[in-house]
Amino acid sequence: MKPARFDYAAPATVDETLGLLDDDATVLAGGQSLVPLLNLRLAQPALVVDIGGVAELDYIRAEDGALRIGATTRQAALERSQLARDDWPLLHKAVRLVGHPQIRTRGTVGGSVAHADPAAELPVALTALGARFHLASRRGVRSLGAAELFLGPLYTSREPDELLVEIEVPAQPDGSASGFAEHARTHGDFATAGAAAVVAPGRAGIALLGAAPVPVRAEAAERALAAGAAPHEAAELAAADIDDDYRRALCTELARRAIAEATP
Amino acid sequence: MSAGRLVGRPVRRREDERILRGGTRYLDDIDPPGAAHVAFVRSSFAHARITGVNVPDGLDGVTAVITAADLEGRVSDLPVQGFDGGRVSAEGHPVLARDEVRYAGQPVAAVLAESRALAEDAAELVEVDYEPLEPVLAARSSDVTMTHWHKLTGDVDGAFASAEHVVRASHALPRLAPVPMETRGAIASHDARDDMLTVWVSAQDSHRQLAGLAKVLDRAEEAIHVVVPDVGGAFGSKGAPAPETMLVAAAAIATGRTVKWAEHRGENFVASYQGRGVEAELELAFDAGGRMLALRARIWADLGGYLMPTTAIPGHTTAMLMCGVYDIRAADVELIGRRTNKVPTGPYRGAGRPEAAYFLECTVDVAARQLGLDPLELRRRNLIRELPYETALGWTYDSGDYARCLELAEELVEPERLSDGERVVGTGFGMYVERAGGQYETAEAELLPDGRVLVRSGSSPHGQGHDTTFAQLAAERLGIELADVELRFGDSKEVPRGVGTFASRSVAMGGSAVVEAADALRERCRSVAARLLAVAEDELEWKGGGRLAAPHGRSVTLSELAAAEPDIRVSARFSSDLSFSSGAYGAVVEIERATGRLRVLRLAAVDDAGTIVNPLLAEGQVIGGTAQGLGQCLVEEAAYDEAGNPTFASFVGYSLLTAAEMPPVTTAFVESPSPLNPLGAKGIGEGGSIGTPGAVANAVADALGGARVDPPFSEDKLWRALREAGR
Repeated sequence: MKPARFDYAAPATVDETLGLLDDDATVLAGGQSLVPLLNLRLAQPALVVDIGGVAELDYIRAEDGALRIGATTRQAALERSQLARDDWPLLHKAVRLVGHPQIRTRGTVGGSVAHADPAAELPVALTALGARFHLASRRGVRSLGAAELFLGPLYTSREPDELLVEIEVPAQPDGSASGFAEHARTHGDFATAGAAAVVAPGRAGIALLGAAPVPVRAEAAERALAAGAAPHEAAELAAADIDDDYRRALCTELARRAIAEATP
Repeated sequence: MSAGRLVGRPVRRREDERILRGGTRYLDDIDPPGAAHVAFVRSSFAHARITGVNVPDGLDGVTAVITAADLEGRVSDLPVQGFDGGRVSAEGHPVLARDEVRYAGQPVAAVLAESRALAEDAAELVEVDYEPLEPVLAARSSDVTMTHWHKLTGDVDGAFASAEHVVRASHALPRLAPVPMETRGAIASHDARDDMLTVWVSAQDSHRQLAGLAKVLDRAEEAIHVVVPDVGGAFGSKGAPAPETMLVAAAAIATGRTVKWAEHRGENFVASYQGRGVEAELELAFDAGGRMLALRARIWADLGGYLMPTTAIPGHTTAMLMCGVYDIRAADVELIGRRTNKVPTGPYRGAGRPEAAYFLECTVDVAARQLGLDPLELRRRNLIRELPYETALGWTYDSGDYARCLELAEELVEPERLSDGERVVGTGFGMYVERAGGQYETAEAELLPDGRVLVRSGSSPHGQGHDTTFAQLAAERLGIELADVELRFGDSKEVPRGVGTFASRSVAMGGSAVVEAADALRERCRSVAARLLAVAEDELEWKGGGRLAAPHGRSVTLSELAAAEPDIRVSARFSSDLSFSSGAYGAVVEIERATGRLRVLRLAAVDDAGTIVNPLLAEGQVIGGTAQGLGQCLVEEAAYDEAGNPTFASFVGYSLLTAAEMPPVTTAFVESPSPLNPLGAKGIGEGGSIGTPGAVANAVADALGGARVDPPFSEDKLWRALREAGR
């Protein structure tokens, strides 16, 4: 099980990286998704740009109340971050469910976002939190919300010459609480469905995993919850548009659990 | 043999330190200099005619590209093993596909290159022209029968006509991938000077590989040397020789190069033979008292595109065990094994026994519900109580205490039944009887110059713990320390010809051969000692620590014997009829209403494998087998899409249980010694995988209020079943 032939570059800075990115290049971060795809020859890029050595992208810090996560930050670092745990606990709850500890030690937060696996935990949590995704290229920098970034399974609006450099999570309102629930066949396996909720007085962010090909905000449920609906009522609204009866029931239950956890 | 100094003790596996420290040498750790590496071009169609194979010129680093045309006259198809009393067609697996492919993943061509990476690059460039044909994906829609067996005993029709109750049920078990931690692989080299072919192969034993190579290559066995290095698991999948191994050997002869193939995980999923893939319809006739009068069973097996050497065997085992642990005097059992466009099936842990136990035990629970009887009471009314017992199907169960096993399972599992707003909880039981052992096994014992004893075994380990168990047996018989017994396995030039490690036979057969070899060595030592000490043999006393004492304080040690007589070496061959292990398993499960998720809350595993030599290792076998049985219940299924493409060919599509899913398992052994061997041992390697599925399935049905679904018990199936059952 060996990849097809490719060239390899290991830039040290973002600037250098941006000079290498084009239609034939693929970005390697933690390699937890890309390397299997290379070995299965499902991905056959001409150039692999390894950003593991781009030290300037490895950070977790609070700035003006927002949490800023550099794209190459390991999932394990996010899991251990006291800052995230204290003020954005939903991220802590979600990242703990990513694969197994070995995978989180190598896997990066940016990699999970850019890979856009519909079964991934971090994109759905970041969607619920209203995160912004900063993309850089030689043409400049742009900032997208989840709905603009995630277009389909393993498919984002990132252009081939762009690099995801940072994820910005806005400050959460006072009194907010969060919940994350998922369903997987076995511990550490890909989730078949899940829900993330962050709830504050008069405000709620709810996103579902497994309800659509991309993480989706459940806006009707958010409005209902902000207006005082019970968790099970909001959960039913969250999953109401899912056609398959079992998946609808599963998502309803997971949304209910996530919302209940976020509304103590 | 009663519990002794070593036998019956929970001795820790002495091989583990080497394994855990990375001291093992698996097939892919062998890196012969100058080897050519093989990558296979495999069929991407489930069923197609091959109209051409085009190999581009000037492939980078490529030594040869081998197709079926190159092998013509050099190899024959793999041999097919049959069974008694039935028909098995001669559809052996070709080494490489000729004009037709019959499953996605079938080897079509082999690329030999200077590295594995170059071989894989080149394999991508080999173009095969296929003319797709309609694939057949289910046994019952196939019109090609490859194995057939039918047995009718007693007045079955009469029994059904006069029965008070007739119970009908049908069940299906999906195909499973064996997924050993180490995938398959082989290395071959041919020395033209003495025409010796040496093959290193990741296999369950050396001699079945040797026989397969001799047959396929039409070569004298004396001109083949098979070495089995450390093996990282097999679960049955490395017993029969593989077409890929044959290709590697033929390529080494043809090219004069050392040739290496180390299988990658994706190949293992699509091309290693699978287990199960069987469905059945059963009918049981009962009298007014709930006594089983007769059984009818039709079993359909989805065998895949060809018969691997042992593909036919599990179905026959299923058929022969259809009466289970019950006293049923009339039976009509038919096995119909059909050709389909999938990879062949073959023995996989349990190998026919889990199928029989599952079909019958699920039907017994259906019957209990229909007759309004407690499932345990219905079982108790029908258990075989006097052994030996010859079944209506023709096998003789040697010993056992089925009632005691059932009683213990009930006691240990603590049955529970509950239904509330959140969940339903149910309890179920499943019993089994398994054929174990049989045929023969060999061992040699040699006294080494330092007084230690070297035992060479025809049986071969791949995770079972032979090095510990067999040393326990030899050390006990010879009155020496465990550390003074060394074991060797797996090299066809060194070990005596044996049968191999499968069918839970190692302790009963291989262990009995070790015992007989140790006893023979003891007699030989006694005779040498008598000569040295100038006393009669019967005056010698065999003392602990390897010393033989004569009257009046004179004695001789084993190392002194070795010095005096250089070649103290004996051999033993032990053969016996099949022995029959048995057991009763209990499971308590919970199904979550909102999601359909199944949780196995606890399991009780009661096994009767006769005398237990090492209870620690025996329990390890039970728990490991239970994990595999649970995997089959909860998540495992080798599924194919409507075009016959495998949808499970990686760990994304094929889940295995993790430690997090394992419920508490309470184990217990009932020891009904087998009269067939000096140890009284039977087999314990497969009980967990045989007993678990039926117990869990019956517990699930109990929780569902009697509704039945087939495994895997996925949450969507259970959620729908709960709603349909109105629970």
